Amino acid sequence: MNVGLILRSSVLLLSILLTAVSCKEDEKPEFDRAGMLANMADNLIIPDYTSLNSSLNLFYTKASEFTANPDLTTLAALRSQYVLTNNYYQKCSMYNFGPAMEQGIKAAFNTFPTDTAQIEVNVASGIYNLFSVVNADAIGFPAIDYLLYFGSDAEIIADFSTNPNAGLRKLYLTDLVSKMKNEFLPVLNQWNDSYRSTFILANGNDVASSCSYLLNEFVKDVELTKNARYGIPSGQQTGGATLPAYVEAYYSGLSNDFAFANLTALKNCFNGGSGLGFDDYIKDVEDEDVTESLADKINSQFDVCINQINNLADPLSNTIETDVQSVSTLYLELKKLIVYLKTDMTSMLGILITYQDNDGD
Amino acid sequence: MTVINYIKSTFFNWHKLVPASTLALYRILFGGLMFFSTSRFLFNGWVHDFYIQPQFHFTYLGFDWIPYPTPLTLYVIFAGMLISCLGIMLGLFYRLSAITFFILFTYVELLDKTTYLNHYYFVSLVAFILIFLPANHYFSLDTKFGFTKESDKIPNWSIAILKFQMGVVYVFAGIAKLEADWLIDAQPLKYWLHTAHHWTFFGELLKQDWVAYFFSWFGCVYDLLIVFFLLNSRTRNIAYLFVVVFHFTTWMLFPIGVFPWVMMVGTTIFLSVSFHEKVISFLSFGKNKNFESSISNTNFARKKVINYLFAVYIFIQIIVPFRYLLYPGNLFWTEQGFRFSWRVMLMEKTGYAEFYIHDPVNKTEWKINNRNHLTSTQEKMMSTQPDMILQYAHHLKNTYSDTTIRFGSEELNFKNPEVHAEIYVTLNGRPSQLYVHKKHNLAAIENNLSNRYWLEDFKE
Repeated sequence: MNVGLILRSSVLLLSILLTAVSCKEDEKPEFDRAGMLANMADNLIIPDYTSLNSSLNLFYTKASEFTANPDLTTLAALRSQYVLTNNYYQKCSMYNFGPAMEQGIKAAFNTFPTDTAQIEVNVASGIYNLFSVVNADAIGFPAIDYLLYFGSDAEIIADFSTNPNAGLRKLYLTDLVSKMKNEFLPVLNQWNDSYRSTFILANGNDVASSCSYLLNEFVKDVELTKNARYGIPSGQQTGGATLPAYVEAYYSGLSNDFAFANLTALKNCFNGGSGLGFDDYIKDVEDEDVTESLADKINSQFDVCINQINNLADPLSNTIETDVQSVSTLYLELKKLIVYLKTDMTSMLGILITYQDNDGD
Repeated sequence: MTVINYIKSTFFNWHKLVPASTLALYRILFGGLMFFSTSRFLFNGWVHDFYIQPQFHFTYLGFDWIPYPTPLTLYVIFAGMLISCLGIMLGLFYRLSAITFFILFTYVELLDKTTYLNHYYFVSLVAFILIFLPANHYFSLDTKFGFTKESDKIPNWSIAILKFQMGVVYVFAGIAKLEADWLIDAQPLKYWLHTAHHWTFFGELLKQDWVAYFFSWFGCVYDLLIVFFLLNSRTRNIAYLFVVVFHFTTWMLFPIGVFPWVMMVGTTIFLSVSFHEKVISFLSFGKNKNFESSISNTNFARKKVINYLFAVYIFIQIIVPFRYLLYPGNLFWTEQGFRFSWRVMLMEKTGYAEFYIHDPVNKTEWKINNRNHLTSTQEKMMSTQPDMILQYAHHLKNTYSDTTIRFGSEELNFKNPEVHAEIYVTLNGRPSQLYVHKKHNLAAIENNLSNRYWLEDFKE
C-alpha cells in the first residue's frame, strides 16, 4: 500500500469530517469555559468583592462611631453594619483562591468558634499581634460577634465605656475591623488589575486551571456548611455528643441567617448568576437523553437544604439542644448535596486534583 | 503468509541467530527513555509528593515487610536509577545496570499502591527481561572497553520475548476494551474528550458523541490488531505510523505522562533490521560495524533452561490478566484482579469517603478527617479501591487504639475502636451510588484475596 495514498486519503477524510461538524447544527447549548470564567469574574466575583469592600469601609466607620460614643444607637448601627458586612462576605467566601487565598481572607475573616479567653487576654493586656498564630481564633467576624453580642446591651455598652478595660476593648474592636478592611482591599485591587485576566486565561481543566480552583473551593465551602456550621455542633463529629457553642455567630444567634446567605450564594455561583455557570457546563457535557440533568438534581438539592435552613428555629445553638433531629436531617441533606458535587460533578467535568499522571486506574 | 506462520517464524525459531542491532537500539532507547522519565519524576517534585510527604503507605499484598526508605535514601535510590539507566543506554556494566535499575524501580513502585500505573508495571517487566538479554554485545561501551565479547548476532528469543511482552500489553488492553461501557456508551472517553483541555480548534469536534464512539471503537480494534500488523513485514511501516499517530494523539488529549513514549519506544522492536542498523549507523556517526564472527550457540547455551524459564514467564503473563474471572461481581466495581491486567484508560471512577471510629464499649464515636492521615492523591485513590479502603481502616484502628480525643468540652476515649465508613462512588458517568455501607466494621475485615462481599451491590 502506498504511504502517500493513505496519507492523502486520511487528510481528505479528516477535512470532510471537520466540515461536516462545523456545518452540523449544534444541538447542545453553546458553552465554553472561558465564557464561564469571564461571567464569574465580571458578574459575580468582582461586583461581590466591590460590595464587600465598600461594606468593610462602612463597617470601620460605624465601629469608630461606636467607640467614640458607645450608646444604644451607635451599638445598634454597628450591629446592623456587622450583619450586612458579614452577609456580603458570605456571598463571596467561596472564591478562596488567587488573591483571596494569598491574603488568607477565609481564615482571617471567619474562623469559628472564637477563642473568647484569648480575646479577653488581648483586651486586658493591650499587647497583641493579630497576625500571630496565637490569635488565629481571636479575630474576624466571630470575634466581633462576641464583642458585640456576648451579654445584654447594657453590659456591652458598659464594657465599652465604664469598664476599666474599655479603652483597650475599643482599640481591639477597631483593630479587628481595620485589619479586615486593610486585608481585603488588595484582593479587590488585584482582581481589578491583572488577576482578572490571569483567571480567565487559565481556562483548561488541569490542576492549575481557574475551573479547578473555582470548583474545589466551591465544594470546600459547601462542606464548611455541612461540617462546621451544622455537623460538629449537632454532634456528627463526636458520635452524637452535641457542641452547641460551636456554631457560627453563637453570640448573635444569627447562625442560620449567615448559613442561608452563604448557601444561597453558593447556589447562585453554581448557576453562574444569570450567565454561564457550572450548571451549563454540566448540561454541555451530559448526554442529551438523560432523564434528569445532574445540574437540576444539584439545584433541587440546594433548594431542599436552603429551605430546611430557613425553617430551623433560631438561635441554632438552642435548637441543637431542644430539637437536634431537625439539624441532623439538614445534615443528611447537605451530605447528599456534597456527594453530587464531589463525585458526580467532579467526575463528569474531569476536574483534576493532582498533577499525577493518570491512566484511568 | 498467515498469522500462524508469522508467529511461527517469529517465535518458534527460538534459538536461531538474528542481527544484534535491533536489541542494541532497543536497549539504547529504553535506557534513554527511562533516564528521561526518572528525571521528570524528580524534576516535578514527585519524590517528595508521593514518597516523602505521606505518613501512611499503601503497601502491596505480601510486601508489607519492605523497609520504608528515609528521604535521603529515596534520593540516593533515584540517583542510582539515573545512573543505571545511563548504564543500560550506553551498554556499560550492562548486566549490573539492568539488575540495579530493575530492583530500584520495582522497589519504589512497591512502596505505595497510590502511584500504580500500568506502564510502570510494564517498565518493571521489561527491566526484568533485559537483565537476561545479551543487549550489550553490540554497539555498547562494554564491548568497546572489552568487558564483553562483541557479537553482531544474537539468539532470536531475545527479540521474540520483547515482542511477546508488547503483544501482551496491546492484546490484553484490547480485550479489556470489549466492555459495554467502552463500546456501547463510549465511556469514559465521552466525558474525557468533551472536557479535554487543549485545542480550542478541535474543541467543538471533541464535544461530538460520534468522535467518542470513533475513538473507543478504533482504540479497541487498534489494540487488538496492531501487533499483528507490526509483525507482518509488508504492513509494518504503516502500522508504526499508526502507532506514532495514535499515541501522540492520546498524549495530547490526556494527562498520561510518559505512557505514549513507552509504547512508541517499545514497538520499535518490531521494525525491520535495516531500520535499526540505519539508526545505529546514524548514532555512531557512520562507523557501522560489520563484525563477522559471531558467538556460537554454545555461549547462548542452556537452551532447555531458557525454554522452560520463558515458558513459565509467558504462561504467567497470559494467565494473570484473567484472574478476575475467579471472582463474582462487576470488575470495575469490585476491582478484584484489576491491576496488572492492562486495563488502561477504562475507568472514570470518583468516590467520597467518610470514615468513623467507634468504640462500642465506651460508646464513643469520632469522624475522621482523612487529610490528617492521607495526602489528597492518596485519599482520591483510596476512596474507589477496596483493598486500599481496608488498609486505611486498619491503619485508623491502629492509630486510634488506646487514645483519647479531646474536642471542645468533650473527652472521647477509644480503647478498641471499630472502623466504619460510608462511601459513595460514581463509575463511568453513572449517578453516584453507595459503595460501602456504614454498618461494616472494616477493621475486622481481613485484607486478602477473598471475595469482597462487604461492598454494596452494583447498580448497572
